[in-house]
Amino acid sequence: MTSSWTLEAEASTGFGASARRWRLGNGLGLIAAIDRRAPIVALQTWFRVGSRHERPGATGMAHLFEHLMFGQTEGLPPGELDRLIERTGGETNAATWVDWTYYKMSLPARDLPLGVRLEAERMQHLVLEPVPVEAERDVVTNERRERVEDDVDGWLDEQLMAHAFTQHPYRWPTIGWMEDIRALALPEIRAFYRTWYAPNNATIVCVGDFDDGELLALIARHYGSIPPAAVPSMPGVVEPEQTRERVVRAPKPIATDRLLVGYKAPGQDDPDWAVLEIVATLLAGCPSARLHRKLVIEREAASSVDAQLTPFRDPSLLRLAVTTARGHRADEVIAEIDRELAALREHPPAAAEVEKAKALAETDFWSALVDVDGKAEALGHYETALGDFRRLGVIAERLTAVTADDVARVVRSHLVPARRTIVIAEPDEAAEEADEDDGDAE
Amino acid sequence: MTVTPNDPLVIVEPSTDTPLVWFDVAIRGGAAADPLGAEGLHRHAALLARRGAGSRDRAQLDETLDGLGASIDVALSRDSVTLSGLALSRHLPAALELAADVLAAPRWDEGEHARLLRETPQILDEVRDDDGALATRWFDWLCCPGHPYGRTSLGTAKSLARIAEDGRDAAIELWRREVVTGNLVIGLAGDVDEARAHELAARLVARLPRGARLEEPTVPALRTRPARAVLVDKPDRTQAQLRIGHVSARYGDPDTPALAIAEAALGGMFSSRLMQEIRVKRGWSYGAGCALRRSRLPHWFEIWTAAAIDVAGPAVALVRELYTDYAARGPSDDEVDFARSYLVGAMPFHVATARQRMQLAVRDAVFDLPAGYTARLPEALAGLAASDVRAACARHMHPAHSVTVAVTTADHARAALEAAHAGALEVVAHDAY
Repeated sequence: MTSSWTLEAEASTGFGASARRWRLGNGLGLIAAIDRRAPIVALQTWFRVGSRHERPGATGMAHLFEHLMFGQTEGLPPGELDRLIERTGGETNAATWVDWTYYKMSLPARDLPLGVRLEAERMQHLVLEPVPVEAERDVVTNERRERVEDDVDGWLDEQLMAHAFTQHPYRWPTIGWMEDIRALALPEIRAFYRTWYAPNNATIVCVGDFDDGELLALIARHYGSIPPAAVPSMPGVVEPEQTRERVVRAPKPIATDRLLVGYKAPGQDDPDWAVLEIVATLLAGCPSARLHRKLVIEREAASSVDAQLTPFRDPSLLRLAVTTARGHRADEVIAEIDRELAALREHPPAAAEVEKAKALAETDFWSALVDVDGKAEALGHYETALGDFRRLGVIAERLTAVTADDVARVVRSHLVPARRTIVIAEPDEAAEEADEDDGDAE
Repeated sequence: MTVTPNDPLVIVEPSTDTPLVWFDVAIRGGAAADPLGAEGLHRHAALLARRGAGSRDRAQLDETLDGLGASIDVALSRDSVTLSGLALSRHLPAALELAADVLAAPRWDEGEHARLLRETPQILDEVRDDDGALATRWFDWLCCPGHPYGRTSLGTAKSLARIAEDGRDAAIELWRREVVTGNLVIGLAGDVDEARAHELAARLVARLPRGARLEEPTVPALRTRPARAVLVDKPDRTQAQLRIGHVSARYGDPDTPALAIAEAALGGMFSSRLMQEIRVKRGWSYGAGCALRRSRLPHWFEIWTAAAIDVAGPAVALVRELYTDYAARGPSDDEVDFARSYLVGAMPFHVATARQRMQLAVRDAVFDLPAGYTARLPEALAGLAASDVRAACARHMHPAHSVTVAVTTADHARAALEAAHAGALEVVAHDAY
């Protein structure tokens, strides 16, 4: 009998009621947090499978399931899942990234039983036949055209990861390489489903207006009889230390240079990740940030600059994204980045500057937890990527403890040219000619 | 408390869920009120006001706001300019004091004026680099020539040249005319109680001139035009970003509830006709949908999709065929029931947080709609018959007058788009506007 629950963890979420993690006998996890401000619930099912679990040559497999899982099941004809949810006024969607895939439903509270039934159905009874698989393959290739082939920012992102990583699966794009998407074979698609879509590889996250006891009974009723699967433990891949700068350039039909600069950074659970989050804010996370002020305002060498630290389980990147201004090139932007980082290495920032970044981090932290969907996403991410939803609170505490000396230290250790990869999209010939003719048809 | 026409409307939605407060100050006007030939002036004025106010220059204002963990951003729509702020509740008074400076005492810095004029063409470059944004920019311009909503909020090379000549003075005059107490709608939501919110709102506008609201812009008599198609030529595309539509009803029109159902059934859900026909049945695009843009004046009804370039022509033909049939026959009874069920059930998600409720209420007020108009739409939907929805389709959907915009590569897609018979096809360079 697998339908008994064990309470494994409980913690304050900082937004009212605490969150509890329960475990069903078959390994299914459940994180539940009650929020009764509106008669709605966020029901999300997080699977510990993302693009890192694919093999070279079959990239895009995890993301393909983000599409296939809305298709026919043994108990639901094609399209029925969407229709049932939309008829309630609810919405359903999914997301895939390197460490996870999750399926989300936003439902009127009274329709929570429907959502649980549908999620349990597609976890075990998805129909994978040639016709629907080919249809979704076409859709995914079009998604890739829209987000990568015809989108310079998508192309930059893909190239950065492909060149920054030589061994780790983070090197291929979550949507997959086009030739791989076209070649994914049905037997391997079916095997992927049987391997990863199992209760012991999933966590259900439910936030909203529900009764704890009723939820436990409901989920046990629909999932309790699903047997666990033999989920493989993937060998950890250690990306070799990067010891020299990598630079990639390509022409694109754009007006000015666009570049991504990616510095190797630790995984999200490393204590230095929180310090680098503060560094990202100091560099380009607010209007008074150093690079924004220097590049956009003082030198007018860029029209925008942004910084992002990717929240991945394994070491990843701190990324600086810059669009250069007319008449300026990527190389002078890189030189300016180097000057700012050298200054930070040699002179720790003033305490007030660090406090500023921490105040912004506090605002960002709460902003992500405003609605039930955001709360569920935060809980699901930390549980799935880092193994424990309570890391949300730990990382928030780490952010508040960062000092100026910490900032200087991580800049010295991480943000050095030898540990970075730069991808530059440059205006191609046609775009440059068009610039010269820039006119106004009005 | 007596509210006079010269008082701002203040909307408060308290919530102690997080220690945050959002505040919006909507200034009626917006891009539709830009003077002809000076398109982009409202954007220019609002951004310039944000770049230094009171005793602080731009750098000092940014530094002070960031130090509070707060933000004040400028958002521009066709109908209003909005200062949108966010602050930790313990810093709310200080953040609002800075917002009050932006409203009452912009420095109109000459250097920032010149810098903004240099920056705006680069934002235009970024729009041209983004196929979806570029398709929308062209569609807005071509959809209904002469309509105030056809004016670009960003500006054009010509209008920016005019703003360079006298734009700083024009911005000051615009701000003096529009940033007056009676022309504002103020919303606060989050960790602030009602009484405190009203007190802070009063301080926010204390230094502003008292004055009445702006007069509503008018839509000139518009000529009915035959369908036309424009191919915006951009090299190396693998898809065509498509926009198809025409001017239709304003939000708040008596037919708005019926059109909400019509919109949802045609292209507002995954189960809708457009998504099913284009994505699910044919796999031609990642998505397809439609929207009746919500605005104070009659605005566009727009269908959008991004089809692979080798099926761009058939996709346009299919959309036109579907739309023509839909306009003539309307949705079926089942589609009306389904869309109504979706819209009524979805409303709690649109009003779940204090911020959402505040922003909906501010929008309704800017559109001159009765308080609670949007939140009460489910009641109006409940009373509609399928025949009401079909009649609204007939009144407000005009496929024969649609404009089609396709951002794609002419060498590959021109012949197929001509064969789609979407009207006379014109090819333009992607950076010609």
